[in-house]
Amino acid sequence: MDSIKPPDQLLLEKDLASAEFRCGEIEGKWRHVSTTWPHVIIAVRPARVANGPTEFVFRFECTAYRETAVTGQPWNPETNSPLPAKDWPAGRSIIPSVFRPQWKEGLCLYLPCDRLSIQGHNDWLHQHPSRLWDSSRGILCYLEQIYELLNSNDYTGVLGS
Amino acid sequence: MSKFSLFVQIQGDNRVVEVAVDEKVSEAGLYKALTDAGISIGSDQFLFIDEAEEQLSRDGKNPVSALKQGARVHLVRCRRVKTTVNYLERAIHRDFAPGTRVRTVKKWAMHEFELEKKDIAEHVLQICNSKERPSSDTPLYALVKNADCSVCFDLVPEIRVEG
Repeated sequence: MDSIKPPDQLLLEKDLASAEFRCGEIEGKWRHVSTTWPHVIIAVRPARVANGPTEFVFRFECTAYRETAVTGQPWNPETNSPLPAKDWPAGRSIIPSVFRPQWKEGLCLYLPCDRLSIQGHNDWLHQHPSRLWDSSRGILCYLEQIYELLNSNDYTGVLGS
Repeated sequence: MSKFSLFVQIQGDNRVVEVAVDEKVSEAGLYKALTDAGISIGSDQFLFIDEAEEQLSRDGKNPVSALKQGARVHLVRCRRVKTTVNYLERAIHRDFAPGTRVRTVKKWAMHEFELEKKDIAEHVLQICNSKERPSSDTPLYALVKNADCSVCFDLVPEIRVEG
């Protein structure tokens, strides 16, 4: 018999089935790879650049979703392990400020919407209001930021290329 | 006949509603499909497909042009959105179709202000008198706050996440 799912898992499943998430999937912006609660793995499509991958995969830890922000890290779905630093996204200005393999040993992205990164950064509440976690939108607000960054003119491929 | 899934966004409503329609649905048929899906359409509301310049006719018999799987359909009151972009001491103005995305406005503004390609990544559109920086996929009508169907942006430098 199936065990009863916790509310945070049900909320995540609801958001992954929402019209807004599906719209992004059909537009090719992202795709749900798998969920092994409390983790969800989602691939995001970057702009096409020479020697760049067709997608970057991220693993999000979603405990206490959506009232609490998720935390996400680049992931290798084939080895089911963190993505090596050489394969992280690279860019000229904004991208390197967000995708920092050295930050917390690659456990999360340096984004105000990330649960781990926002800790101790109270100044971000005022500096980056549009980049904060929005509990009314859930994981979509995080995915949109990743997608925007990876499809900006700043993006150049991967660190090791 | 095969079906398309369309995503309906409504001015003044944060919801996105998924509606399935025949791939050769007529313009009038699309209005009806939305109504059948429980979406109320007032006489002052109009349908636009994605960034299309022209609204769909309520009694149009022709198939909706450029319809595709996953297309965004906008139900709006603003048929045009008066758009202003400020950069340094200059301001430029243009009326856009309501479904025009912020990405398109930024591209136009960068061209008008003769900014170089490298500057594109380092600037964003920010709503005037706010710190709101809408995502590039946002349609203009979703940013209209007043009945006058206008929106104002400042073109500002993107801020690196630091600290």
